[in-house]
Amino acid sequence: MLQSIGYFVRRVGRNLRQTPVICSAAIGTVAVALMIMAFFIIVVINVQQVARQWSREIQVVAYFDKVPGEDKVDRWRDDLEGMKEVERVDFVSRDEAFRRFKKRLGDDGDLLDGVGSDFLPASLEIVLHEASRNKTGVETVVRRLQQIPELEDVSYEPDWLERFDAFVNLLKLAGFVFGGFLLFAALFIVSNTIKLTLYARREEIEIMGLVGGTPLFIKMPFLLEGALQGIVGGGVALIGVWAIFALVLQEGLYGVLMVTGADSILFLSAWQQGGILVCGLLLGLTGSLLSLRKFVRI
Amino acid sequence: MIQLYNVCMSYQKDATALTDFTLKVPKGDFLYLTGPSGAGKSTLLKLLYGAEKPTRGQILMNGMNITRMRSWRVPFLRRKLGIVFQDFKLIHSRTLFENVAFPLEVQGRKRFEVSNKVYQALKHVGLQGKLHRFPLQLSGGEQQRAAIARALVTDPLILLADEPTGNLDDDVACDIMELFKGANARGTTVLLATHDREMIRRYPRRVVSLDKGRLVDDHSP
Repeated sequence: MLQSIGYFVRRVGRNLRQTPVICSAAIGTVAVALMIMAFFIIVVINVQQVARQWSREIQVVAYFDKVPGEDKVDRWRDDLEGMKEVERVDFVSRDEAFRRFKKRLGDDGDLLDGVGSDFLPASLEIVLHEASRNKTGVETVVRRLQQIPELEDVSYEPDWLERFDAFVNLLKLAGFVFGGFLLFAALFIVSNTIKLTLYARREEIEIMGLVGGTPLFIKMPFLLEGALQGIVGGGVALIGVWAIFALVLQEGLYGVLMVTGADSILFLSAWQQGGILVCGLLLGLTGSLLSLRKFVRI
Repeated sequence: MIQLYNVCMSYQKDATALTDFTLKVPKGDFLYLTGPSGAGKSTLLKLLYGAEKPTRGQILMNGMNITRMRSWRVPFLRRKLGIVFQDFKLIHSRTLFENVAFPLEVQGRKRFEVSNKVYQALKHVGLQGKLHRFPLQLSGGEQQRAAIARALVTDPLILLADEPTGNLDDDVACDIMELFKGANARGTTVLLATHDREMIRRYPRRVVSLDKGRLVDDHSP
């Protein structure tokens, strides 16, 4: 077993040394394909970040007709915080509401001089968990609130919520469609480039079969080579993306997303970087496997 | 022992390469397969090394029916054979040593055993001084000798040769024939496809003649 591994490793090393141009072309193709994918992921995660920030706006406010007793407020708060959709419930007293209103008026706060704080209703502000910041989550919470008779009104801006839901769904759909298309295109290009490397060695593949090489024995060095080219391509893609991100993209994306309220531009996380390397490995491996099917026929 | 019974082979419906071909080759035999181009010599060899399957009939090699053989077993059949081609089929990017070592590496032999056997095989064909040359640095005769060394390095039971002297001049062809004779003397069954009448006359052995896919003559000197 160890002897076979040693043999395959020696062969891979020799093949790479013997055809450096074709090998570099394969690595370059993987790198370019993965760089495009990485840029796409960067755009998606940053747009998602913006969407996340927008989603903070999604909250439900329930206004009371009369100021409820503290024990009642605590009971409702416990009840609502027990829901999986709810992250936090804040009780806003009439005084607190008055103070906020005055603060919001800023220099015009004097307008409220002489006005008592009791013209504003007390309320419960319900902050939702990120996963529930959508129409379904909000409606579940609103249904529960409507069971509290002391509540006069529940505010949750259904139109804005619907538009936000549509935007998030569109983002997901675009991610799947465009990401899937990119992956397929990358696989097609990589497998064709690898096919060229195999075409250059078709003579060797034929002879291996004639002297008794099993399909696995013939394929193994090419598969290892494809996997290695894929990982190296992935590494080159990460370095390239990082360089372009640091030099150009960060500033460019910031310019675009700043108006939407994003405070910083995100790069790929460690997991996503690992994912790009694994993607490279799988691209190289699958590309080799697809091409070898046509060349290795015993 | 090789036995073929009523073997038919056609690549297309109306293009028959072999028709009702029956032949027995005892162990240790040396026979020429001869006939004009398109007679079916190469097809017959391809059937024997499992590159093609007959459309009808049975082929037995050492008691094993290779017509029913599953494709995953074909490599193991080929490990018992040595195959030599007119165009040598050496890998140009590999040295002679590496080319000859190939069948042993495929079988997973140990490195020191590979080195030893390859050196002996190349010495046997007189190329021990050119271990690290590449095929294109050698003459046609030397390349064919290297191909024979590769075919014999695993001590095969059967040696199949398809026009092995077709590209070589007479003197070199005689050297090659001596190598086949030597292999046969050591017990290897040799089937040699050729249309070189002069070679057959000079090295008389059993001759099986084919024409348009049919066996037309089978005689021994």
